[in-house]
Amino acid sequence: MNKILVVAKKEMKGIIKTKSQMLVGLFFALWFSVMTAPVVKTVEESAVFVQFNNLLFYFVLMLGIFMAYLFSGRVFFNEKREGIIETLLCTPLSLRQIWSGKVVGVTIPAYLISLLTAALMTILGNIFSTSMLLPSPAIALHIFLVVPAFIAAAVGLLGFGHSLLGMRENQIINLLIFGALFGALAFTKNIMKGDFAVSWMAVGVLLIIAVLLLMLTVYLTRYLSRERIVTSIP
Amino acid sequence: MIEVQNLTKTFNGKTVLKDISFEVKEGEIFGYLGPNGAGKTTTMRIILGLLNPTSGNAFVMGQNLGENEELRNKVGVLLEDDGVYDRLSAYENLDYYAQLYGLSDGVERKRRIEELLESVGLSDRRNDKVGRFSKGMRRKLALARAISHEPEVLFLDEPSSGLDPEAQIMVRELVLQLSAEMGVTIFLNSHDLDEVQRICTKIAILQSGEIKAHDTVKNLRDKTGRPRVEITLSDSKAAEKALNILNSLHFVSDCERDDSRIAAVIRDEKSSTILSVLMRNGIVVEEIKRVTKSLEDVYLDIVREGSKQNE
Repeated sequence: MNKILVVAKKEMKGIIKTKSQMLVGLFFALWFSVMTAPVVKTVEESAVFVQFNNLLFYFVLMLGIFMAYLFSGRVFFNEKREGIIETLLCTPLSLRQIWSGKVVGVTIPAYLISLLTAALMTILGNIFSTSMLLPSPAIALHIFLVVPAFIAAAVGLLGFGHSLLGMRENQIINLLIFGALFGALAFTKNIMKGDFAVSWMAVGVLLIIAVLLLMLTVYLTRYLSRERIVTSIP
Repeated sequence: MIEVQNLTKTFNGKTVLKDISFEVKEGEIFGYLGPNGAGKTTTMRIILGLLNPTSGNAFVMGQNLGENEELRNKVGVLLEDDGVYDRLSAYENLDYYAQLYGLSDGVERKRRIEELLESVGLSDRRNDKVGRFSKGMRRKLALARAISHEPEVLFLDEPSSGLDPEAQIMVRELVLQLSAEMGVTIFLNSHDLDEVQRICTKIAILQSGEIKAHDTVKNLRDKTGRPRVEITLSDSKAAEKALNILNSLHFVSDCERDDSRIAAVIRDEKSSTILSVLMRNGIVVEEIKRVTKSLEDVYLDIVREGSKQNE
């Protein structure tokens, strides 16, 4: 098996076996889905479809990024804190292979939880609405392309930060990211009030941002070195 | 097999390794000794390619490990940290690393893992999560991991740390077996002088980033260890009298009395000369024996000497 996949498989296994994190993921998937119900029930018939797609647009993305943040901490941060990374750096894998394996290993479960959220939101939305609710083509593109790309970019950037920085800097950054995530959630919710409807343009812009972030992440890995990682182990 | 040439490493203006050089030949068990903070781990990290030297070179099989990922397939590593995953079972840990080291054949990998678990006495705990293991069990598993891919060179950092005496013997035997039967070259970082004395063919003593001694254990003892005698007298009064006499002898130095026992360093003369001098003075000697300097004595002499020089 490709060594990147070996690392990815091990990370996925580790995440799935961490019950507390999986429960947090499942809880948020369910909570976000349940939040859809009152919206589709109370909103006017003509606006139901738009509101449903708006909710899918930001809940699925936000939860994906939140899960990426949660899982990255375990995979990158803890491995460094416990010193295991040093042994891993002695294996015949390049730094990029290790990093890529971990990014894939975190992205897949985080994305699966996002998908689960989208599925639950659709099911619950249809239960509480009189209209048939399905994601619009733009939202489908968002869910199947933009969301995984954003999750991968978020994991990559977080992994880069965890690998490059010391423990204290990482803890500060973790707090900032946590705050930023909630800030973004509130900000997006405000923007989407009123007549806002997710357009191809919005999805396209997000896709471009995601691709640029991914490119930036891959570029940044050039600055990772074994020495930098080892000397920042506590 | 391992060559370190004029290695210097500086961190933020502080030099932690100063122009060190040594060589480890194929099949040798090389003990790398030194007090905490002497630079042992830094040396090992540079050889392993985890740190870049400020100047000098470190080669394994003639190549730089930091620049050759394939070469790492031939190198096994047991660092201070066990490098095992708490959430995985013993079997899963070994399986993961075996795959990373290229053991792709599932059947062969399974056979090898079973064999390793058996050899470190963890067969019956194969499916238990490592998080539930004791420190000693983790260490044994980490050792099994380090040799899972049958490396040609093995780097061990305090392999017996946290192990009970029985397990320490097991590790020692395993290391000797790897060297004798498979010709594995072993680089051993250790504080355990007894362990080093028992298994290492050659040692280097590092202090404050400098190599203070580098030779075989026997040669180091012969070179640095002046002959010592231990004299047991009938009582403390006789010992006091004997001490005064010994202090007056030109070929005796460093006399130390502990109740009725005296330890002293002698030069050139035989211990029988001391015996006859004491007997001539009417002192009854119950026992006199020549004591060979242990590696611990040699180590402490070198380290203390080094500390004095640094002051």
